[in-house]
Amino acid sequence: MFNADKFIEEETARLEREVKGKAIIGASGGVDSTVCAAIVGKALGERLLAVYVDTGFMRKGETANVDKMLRRLGVNHIVVDASDEYFTALKGVIEPETKRKIIGEKFIRVFEREAKKFGAEYLVQGTIAPDWIESGGGIRDTIKSHHNVGGLPKDLNLILVEPLRDLYKDEVRKVARALKIEVAEKQPFPGPALAIRIMGEPTRESVEIVREACAIAEEEIEKAAAAGKMKLPWQYFAVLLPVRSVGVQGDIRAYGYTIAVRAVDSVDAMTANYSKIPHDVLEQISIRITNKMKDKVNRVVYDVTNKPPSTIEWE
Amino acid sequence: MGISILFNLWTMADQVDLYIELVLDGTSGRPLYDWLSNRQSLHLAEDLYLPAVPLIMRILVVDNGGQWTHREWRVLRDLGVESEIIANTTPLENIKADGLVLSGGSPRVGLDQEKMGKCGDYIDKAGVPILGICAGHQFMATHLGGKAGPSKIPEFGKMMVTIDSEDDLFKGLPETLVAWESHNDEVLEMPPDFVSLAHSDNCKIQAMKHTSKPLYGLQFHPEVEHTDNGYEMFQAFIDICEAYKKA
Repeated sequence: MFNADKFIEEETARLEREVKGKAIIGASGGVDSTVCAAIVGKALGERLLAVYVDTGFMRKGETANVDKMLRRLGVNHIVVDASDEYFTALKGVIEPETKRKIIGEKFIRVFEREAKKFGAEYLVQGTIAPDWIESGGGIRDTIKSHHNVGGLPKDLNLILVEPLRDLYKDEVRKVARALKIEVAEKQPFPGPALAIRIMGEPTRESVEIVREACAIAEEEIEKAAAAGKMKLPWQYFAVLLPVRSVGVQGDIRAYGYTIAVRAVDSVDAMTANYSKIPHDVLEQISIRITNKMKDKVNRVVYDVTNKPPSTIEWE
Repeated sequence: MGISILFNLWTMADQVDLYIELVLDGTSGRPLYDWLSNRQSLHLAEDLYLPAVPLIMRILVVDNGGQWTHREWRVLRDLGVESEIIANTTPLENIKADGLVLSGGSPRVGLDQEKMGKCGDYIDKAGVPILGICAGHQFMATHLGGKAGPSKIPEFGKMMVTIDSEDDLFKGLPETLVAWESHNDEVLEMPPDFVSLAHSDNCKIQAMKHTSKPLYGLQFHPEVEHTDNGYEMFQAFIDICEAYKKA
């Protein structure tokens, strides 16, 4: 079985041996990149700078929380607000793969800028096995281009370091627990963030809707799990659909968008089954979303598909 | 009466735990049998104890481009087997292994057989047990004279599989189990000398094996977390490889 302590020891030694100069790491505050920052930080100390990019697609309160968490972790870090750049680059973009590739490349351009300022020649990423597997290449089909793999430009002028490449999420969590990292049990969140939870053009307006819906879904599910009503799913969120349907609000016709709630159980993201959430929890999510955003959303549905045939995220 | 003292000797390989008994004369304290000075006896002792040492098995995963190729590698590694993922274009002479897993993959075996690389070579000449999974299983069938093609009802995700014959691969497993699937094609006709070991409602040949050679095929995916008893199936395959190596 996977031995986290041995992994940490071997990787730290390898990084000390192989990474000679300065490095930056793309840090989202999620489990993968935080574990990676901790391990690389052990090996490089002050020679490592963690760069958190606010793309404008972050969840409610996320940027502030990650900023605090990285400070507590004790790794050098900066927060870069690049939201204007992202919204401009994604104007009119609907196709999921195009979205993912634009976002991936933008990340790299921001990292290149920050690397230059810091004098770094290495780029560390918390890439894990499903990221490169699903991104395809060679005879392997592309399921979706993960931002840290499929978005890499050919002219990347930084040396890529990916210590977690062969691990799956459950193994990364084991490493996180061994390192006593506070986000060890945090649910996965994709790099392109809420941009791929909007089935359509990611605008400041559409991201606001899905951000609120995600916050409500997360809150209600976490509350129900804490109360022992259900097991906390592996991943749980909301997706904004471009489908509009008719409703009635205060005796007036409504014609609003649809929110899909998704929750799955998995171990490694390579297979997943939809979570059997109690109906009263789903109902509470639905009531809160449709009341809070009555001008925008008047229908909530629950996704009951496994992976395969679907994937966990919708895009 | 003699007094027995156990010496624990470590061999160079650090793997063989060799116990040598030194029997002393109860009154004089002198050795009755000095095993260490007697080469013949020492060799005898090695012969006696070596079989208890687990063999380090080396089972390679041949990558046919599957989404779960790396999972196969992970399960083998979790089970203590030395494993690597190799390209399916690797020449046979470069492969040193006690067993091979032919992974699944995006190639439609019926349509783009050439994407399966040298899998045919491995099946014909590797001389070690082979487990074909999904595309690997379908390729094994077509390569040996059977038939694979589009499924009438393709299966994706959770399915119930019924084990019709335990054989070595499913020893001790429940008769029906949840298996995760992901296939557009399937084995339609088995090659000569193969028997079917399992089926689902939509797919008649979920598992097959050769009646005399160590060749196995599975349509479903034992390597994913969501398949019941997947680790047991891999352990069974490891045991098959181990038995074959010893024979």
